[in-house]
Amino acid sequence: MASVAETVTPAPIVVHRHWWRGRLVQVTGIVALMYVAYRAWAIEYPWPNDLVWNSLSLHLDDFQVWLLTERGKEDQSIVFTVFEGFSSAIDHLVEWFNRLLLWLTWVGTTVAGVALIFRFGGLRAATIMLFAFAAFALTGLWEESMQTLALMLVSVGLSLLVGIPLGVAAGRSAGFRRAIAPVLDAMQIVPAFAYLMPVAILFSIGPAAAVVSTMIYAIPPAIRITALGVRGVPVSTVEAATSMGATRMQLIGKVQLPLARRMILLGVNQTILFALSMVVIAGLIGGGGLGAVVTSGLYSNPALAILAGLAIVIIAMALDRSTEAIAEQTDPAHRHLDETRKRRLRLQTLAIVGTIVAGVGISKAFGAAGAYPDEAGNPPHTATIEEWLLTKIQVVLDYVQDPTTWVFAITERVGIFILQQLLLPLQEFLMEAPWFTTVAGLTAIAFVVSGLRPALTTLAMLGSIGFTGIWALAMDTLSQVLVATAIAVAIGVVLGVLAAESNRFSKVMRPVNDLLQTLPQLVYIIPFIYLMPVSIVPGSVAGVLYAFPVTLRLVERGVRDVAPTSVEAASAFGASRRQVLTKVKLPLAGDAVMLGVNQAIIMVLALVVIGGLVGSGGLGYEVAQGLVRGQFGQGVIASVAILALGIALDRVTQGTRRSRKEGIA
Amino acid sequence: MLLVPDWPGDRVDRTGEPLIRADGVWKIFGRREDRIIGTPAAELSRAELRAQTGCVIAVRDVSIRVWPGEVFVVMGLSGSGKSTLARTLIRLIEPTAGRILIAGMEVTAASPAELRQLRRHMVSMVFQHFGLLAHRTVIENMAFGLEVQGVQRNERLARAREMLRLVGLEESESSFPDQLSGGMQQRVGVARAFAVDPKVMLYDEPFSALDPLIRRDMQDEICRLQVETEKTMIFITHDLPEALRLGDRIAIMRDGQIVQLGTPEELVGSPADEYVANFTRDIPKSHVLTLRWVMREPVPEDSTDGPKLDVTTTVRRALPALAAGEKPVCAVEDGRVVGIVDRATVLQAIADERGD
Ligand SMILES: Nc1ncnc2c1ncn2[C@@H]1O[C@H](COP(=O)(O)OP(=O)(O)OP(=O)(O)O)[C@@H](O)[C@H]1O
Ligand SMILES: [Mg+2]
Repeated sequence: MASVAETVTPAPIVVHRHWWRGRLVQVTGIVALMYVAYRAWAIEYPWPNDLVWNSLSLHLDDFQVWLLTERGKEDQSIVFTVFEGFSSAIDHLVEWFNRLLLWLTWVGTTVAGVALIFRFGGLRAATIMLFAFAAFALTGLWEESMQTLALMLVSVGLSLLVGIPLGVAAGRSAGFRRAIAPVLDAMQIVPAFAYLMPVAILFSIGPAAAVVSTMIYAIPPAIRITALGVRGVPVSTVEAATSMGATRMQLIGKVQLPLARRMILLGVNQTILFALSMVVIAGLIGGGGLGAVVTSGLYSNPALAILAGLAIVIIAMALDRSTEAIAEQTDPAHRHLDETRKRRLRLQTLAIVGTIVAGVGISKAFGAAGAYPDEAGNPPHTATIEEWLLTKIQVVLDYVQDPTTWVFAITERVGIFILQQLLLPLQEFLMEAPWFTTVAGLTAIAFVVSGLRPALTTLAMLGSIGFTGIWALAMDTLSQVLVATAIAVAIGVVLGVLAAESNRFSKVMRPVNDLLQTLPQLVYIIPFIYLMPVSIVPGSVAGVLYAFPVTLRLVERGVRDVAPTSVEAASAFGASRRQVLTKVKLPLAGDAVMLGVNQAIIMVLALVVIGGLVGSGGLGYEVAQGLVRGQFGQGVIASVAILALGIALDRVTQGTRRSRKEGIA
Repeated sequence: MLLVPDWPGDRVDRTGEPLIRADGVWKIFGRREDRIIGTPAAELSRAELRAQTGCVIAVRDVSIRVWPGEVFVVMGLSGSGKSTLARTLIRLIEPTAGRILIAGMEVTAASPAELRQLRRHMVSMVFQHFGLLAHRTVIENMAFGLEVQGVQRNERLARAREMLRLVGLEESESSFPDQLSGGMQQRVGVARAFAVDPKVMLYDEPFSALDPLIRRDMQDEICRLQVETEKTMIFITHDLPEALRLGDRIAIMRDGQIVQLGTPEELVGSPADEYVANFTRDIPKSHVLTLRWVMREPVPEDSTDGPKLDVTTTVRRALPALAAGEKPVCAVEDGRVVGIVDRATVLQAIADERGD
């Protein structure tokens, strides 16, 4: 029997040594040295050909061919049978849900969805849901929306099926927690775009591949938040139950799960949002639905792509609000049901079931279509406002791209400035500097900022990038990441400090933050393809927009969390508000800023590589080519390089204290 | 001021087998805890060991025996290892070394299933921070122990209702813990423990989180329950008046060790060391000490026609008798005069408690 009585050890006294001040100087020094080397030997030392495994790409292609033939064989080995079985089971599951949603007819689906949300989440959530269904119908994207919903149901369901038990295990056992932490870290560091390729190869393009890559992305938050919830169950309660002789299963089922309920439901909520943000990328590997509309429409029909993007945002908001409301409404510890209310709820449930059955029955009897029809009536006239919406969107697109408007004048200038003053010089610097000074410099920075082990990891990662032969491409991507991160952090810090100092500003920023964080990654980029159609700028600017809210939040929290006593003491010395801010709060919030940099850089990387789809070049472009043109070897190498770059960037910026991630949900 | 135990000191029969028996129990927190015992390191003081190995000795070589029906109090300052000791008894914390027997069962060698049986039927624990299930109503909380045992719903709710009456919470049956005051929550905790009808009750500072008035109420309640149900209790507290009030015997712990173990009057009358004396300094001795403690041997020339009182009478209770007549009081045990208490002795005892 493990002992369950852990008394809380007193918090260690944290001594702030302002470590980052000294390090800032050191990092600047290292960068200066790198620059000197660049001036001296530009272009003379690209990554040497002797240090490249040139045939790797061919081997990978061979492997893929082998995989395909193995799969096609009549007498496959057991591994493949199992694998294929799993893959087609998921395919069928998605297909089944999809057909169910259509079988219910569009009226039935709407009635069922809204009624269920009403029963468990209340009127407000149900109204939002109704609005969402109306949006699917009127945009003429009903079928695609249902496909996306089916994909979501399966992905989220499976993610939770895996994530919650693992989360419970992690919450209960510190050993298990330590064991899976690096895996979870890696899963969240690696940009989703990077594992599309391997997943597509293994599962071949189709719903199963889409579901699996969504799961990789959505499982970590499910595990993390569940574990956090289980750990949050008061030790005294667990101990009391143990003292009464509860078995492990009783402990989990009767104590830990119910008490962690709120957190677990928050985990469900986050899992849904994470999964939704993968919808678009999943469209690239056979996810279908709205995601496919976005990815295929990017060039051929931008207005439609934007419309589908909006539909995804609407699904995200509706599901977000619904799960939140459900968590709130069904919490037994706060509902305090008495007998009459219980009876009323039971009646309500009956009524809801009745409504759903009646809704479906009637709509089927009257022959309602599976999907909301584009045309109705006799003579038929259009029943959606799709055309109207598309023309409106097109008008906006045309406007922002018209060189004579002031919007264009501003955006173009900003775009060109970012390109010429920031992106190009840095790209040149990183791509042309001698490879060994870059490797040495980045490793040294990792050592100074984060310590020896991160430095060694960084060295290994950079080495493997060079070894696979895409050093220059990786440096291209890196330059974009660095520029975008710098801008994102600058914006995040300024706004974060403002938000910490002014409650009103904080309140204004919150919904903006929420919105920016729920949008699927690719949806960020679309507007900028049109707003700033300047070569590699859209990907970077979208990265800024994607990443700065996180920095903002962390900085705001960091500044707000500075102990009031320190502030009081400084004020007692007569420090002005500004002095308090610059001399007390910001230094003490240094950790939060560092964490902000770390998070931002990873998020920016994720977007910059997606930008490869729309002209950002670099590693992302290679992956996109791999996916679109079937150049698998090259795509996988680029994916691995993205992974390596992600890990390296994380290690360089992780700082000495790994207080990160636990609280960032 | 009510410090007197509500029952006579020697009401427990200690001739039979002890119900609970702990021999040489150690608990060391830290890595490689088991490597320390028996080495010279085990002799080090707590602070030294911590500095050298990072390990903390929470319980050091403790042996206790508790007989059926006894109220055994463990007392000591914060961090002295009381809670750890109590938890090792049912292995909520795994003891590092030592042997524990409860009702003939060797707890330290029990399998998980046997341990569960012990926890389900033999021993119940009440916690300082209640440990109630926030997602369940009061009655469901009370029935939890029975639910864990697999008792049918109706049966366990009926039993829980009895408990509800026992602790006077009929009104709050379907409230949730967060709707109750601290005192009421702890009543639920006590009732929950009683619901499974255990032989042994373990209380870990059950009333420390309550304010003094409620605390008194709860102590009364415990006394009443003790008298009604005749449980064996191990009661942990850092409050001496509480200890004196409830305990048949009291063990005083310091840095994981028992520094003195005895009846209330032994502790108050002859503290083993400065640490114990510090605890008992402010206790009015006449409230605790009995005639047995202050009397002198009778000699033949003593007149035995003075008032006769039982030796277990406290000095305070004897005062009226002494004041009433000129004659010294005779302390009687089993109908035989075993000692003489005169005014001078009593005055001396009372003078002592003024703190020199
Ligand atoms: N899980 C643990 N890990 C490490 N040390 C512990 C642990 N639990 C208790 N200790 C240490 O063991 C010692 C005894 O703790 P214990 O909780 O038994 O004291 P206590 O007498 O009950 O104190 P209190 O009156 O404050 O409850 C303390 O020094 C404590 O720091
Ligand atoms: Mg304690």
